[in-house]
Amino acid sequence: MSDDNKAILVVGGGISGITTAVEAAEAGYNTIIVERNPYLGGRVAQLNRYFPKLCPPYCGLEMNFRRIKTNPKITVYTMSELESVSGSEGNFTARIRKNPRLVNEKCTACDKCVEVCPVERPNEFNFGLDKTKAIYMPHEMSFPMRYVIDKNVCTGSSCAKCVEACKYNAIDLDMKTDSVEVNVGSIVFATGWNPYNAENMDNLGFGKIQNVVTNMMMERLSAPNGPTKGKILRPSDNKEVKNIAFVQCAGSRDENHLIHCSAICCMASLKQATYIREKAPDSNVSIYYIDLRAPGKYETFLKKVDEDENVKMIKGKVAKIEEDSATGDPVLTVEDVEGGGKIHQTVDMVVLATGMEPSLKAGAAPGVKVEENGFISLNGQSGGVYSTGVAKSPGDVTTSLQDATGAALKSIQSVVRR
Amino acid sequence: MADETVLTPDLGFIKSLKGAGAETMKKCYQCATCSVICPLSPDDNPFPRKEMIMAQWGLKDDLANNPDIWLCHNCNDCSKYCPRGAGPGDVLSALRKIAIQENAFPKGLGKILGEPKMIWLALLIPAIIFMIAMKIKTGYFFQIPEGEVVFSKFFPISLVDTIFVPIALLVTISFVVSIGRFWKSLNKNPYKLMASGTILSGLIATIKEIVSHSKFDKCDANKDRVWAHRLVLFGFVGLFITTNWAVFNLYGLNWESPYPLNDPDAVAIFGSEAAAGLYRGVFKLTGNASAAILLIGSIMMFANRVKDKGFSSVSSSFDWTLAIMVFAVCVTGILSEVLRLANAASLAYPMYFAHLIVVFYIIAYLPFSKLAHMVYRTTAITYAKMANRDVV
Repeated sequence: MSDDNKAILVVGGGISGITTAVEAAEAGYNTIIVERNPYLGGRVAQLNRYFPKLCPPYCGLEMNFRRIKTNPKITVYTMSELESVSGSEGNFTARIRKNPRLVNEKCTACDKCVEVCPVERPNEFNFGLDKTKAIYMPHEMSFPMRYVIDKNVCTGSSCAKCVEACKYNAIDLDMKTDSVEVNVGSIVFATGWNPYNAENMDNLGFGKIQNVVTNMMMERLSAPNGPTKGKILRPSDNKEVKNIAFVQCAGSRDENHLIHCSAICCMASLKQATYIREKAPDSNVSIYYIDLRAPGKYETFLKKVDEDENVKMIKGKVAKIEEDSATGDPVLTVEDVEGGGKIHQTVDMVVLATGMEPSLKAGAAPGVKVEENGFISLNGQSGGVYSTGVAKSPGDVTTSLQDATGAALKSIQSVVRR
Repeated sequence: MADETVLTPDLGFIKSLKGAGAETMKKCYQCATCSVICPLSPDDNPFPRKEMIMAQWGLKDDLANNPDIWLCHNCNDCSKYCPRGAGPGDVLSALRKIAIQENAFPKGLGKILGEPKMIWLALLIPAIIFMIAMKIKTGYFFQIPEGEVVFSKFFPISLVDTIFVPIALLVTISFVVSIGRFWKSLNKNPYKLMASGTILSGLIATIKEIVSHSKFDKCDANKDRVWAHRLVLFGFVGLFITTNWAVFNLYGLNWESPYPLNDPDAVAIFGSEAAAGLYRGVFKLTGNASAAILLIGSIMMFANRVKDKGFSSVSSSFDWTLAIMVFAVCVTGILSEVLRLANAASLAYPMYFAHLIVVFYIIAYLPFSKLAHMVYRTTAITYAKMANRDVV
């Protein structure tokens, strides 16, 4: 091992990308993380709790952020995208575009700028369930701990109230897009996923019926740092949700939408059933499924949830959701396959267990071959190019971490053997 | 175990189903999206999810006597939303074909004539019958008469009667037997649909529904088919009325085609040539308008079949055969009329002969062709209404 070794480029700063970078760096190799968002942590940062221990995600992320902060071998570019790649294994040249944050490293997160900012925007971190100002902190444990300005809504120098309010000269409204070229030995794509657009399923009413939400919105509604401060209140009238239904395979395992099984939605709904059961002892949960998939040790968790009398699991896919216009209650229709009749159920809120759509589109990313379905297979890639986490195949956090550690080793091999 | 059920899958049935347009049925994973999407499926024991697994299991007898496959109007909303591309709409369509063959009387004949590859034999039979009949009556197998084109000179009306009246009678007997069986099996089918109410009230409600196409109108994915079907149905009804009207003209009024206005019998009845002309005009308008409606409807049916609807739907050869025959009966009929008026004897008579063959095909093979759906479906909907299984 010597310092002549080229660095390892990790595209994507979610839990998989962070893990790959940290593991490789702790083995002594220089790593670079490129992240599109203004913060690290990706989808995991948006969860309320995660498997296997059902702890809040911050405990895992905080530990990783500390490992990054104290390790000089890791370079992080947030708000950045991979623009182009050339070269081959052991000697790639990658160009990274750095979008302007408009807030520099002098920021102390004092919040004075937010107080004066007159513009509001939907908070995408909370899936539009609440709003932030045009200058905002992405979330309370953001890394880097620094504000960011949404250029699309900020009115710029004509307003500049935040610039006046900032005592540290941390706001630079003239910050320009920058780019940097790096020389790396291997590239790991950890580009992750987006929740599948539930509006595409026109029979399930998402986007038209306010109290039909996605499972990721349910995580935010349950999280103490979410839009409802952890109280599960439904969007239409902020009524506490007592009667809830989960619609499994909403867009997954479906030729018209995502053809793959998203692997995590069954466990996510079982987990979310416990959120509501813990918060309201008189609550009722119905989970409608085609097949319940609880791989490996998760079987125990499934059994535990199933023992709860107030949780009903019914085989049958919900194929119609309508709204009771007087109350705003969603009314769902499903055939109870084992019972032999249609069920019409009125609930306070419906959670669509929407699946994972890989972030990249086929042919749209530089330096990597993306398959038709959007995932990045290890097969058929040029030497030194790897994928990990959900970018490779749908999976839970535990599986992604193990895979990311393996990806770290692969990426080190590409650097060393040249 | 007392509650054990032994299933005996009929593998030949599964194969024949796949051949009839249900290639995709094994893709079904029983999610039941179809049963919910279907606007015609009742809350209790909905279809087509259960039919999909029964088909996969090869339960031929249960399916052949299942009224639900006839409640389906093949609008294919289910196939559009099916997450697996298993095509429940096509599977039910294939099941209906097999149900027609299974319930047909005589059953063997149903299997033979129901097969589209037997179409040439099926067309040859009437051709031979007609030629033998002509030979007996006129002395020639196929002789184009001299002078003005009058079809009865070529193929006398008496032959039409002696051939088609017994055929219609046989068709009726065949339907009475097979529908009798079908009705009996409905009452003991595994879904325990206990019939209530009277047959007559059920039948009247059913006919109202057929005339208005109110069920069919609930279709979404395949809306265009509704008008095509409506026109074909009304076209046929109009032509049926015209035919019976012609029988009345001949035997009631003693006035024979081509209905000369100076016919003494006609003048005696109508009082004047002008009145007879008015009567003839209305009669001819009914016939021609019906033919035009049928032509438009059958062209629309072709157009809908080849149109891309954004999801795959199979048109089996069983479907195509009927569509082609409906089109053929219409075109040969209209051309016969046009060529007769043009007095093109050498073309008009062969065209009329072809028309007679297609008419024979449609009428004689009715119990075995897709057209039998009108009898089975009417029966099943009537039953569903009586069993409170109807979705309004």
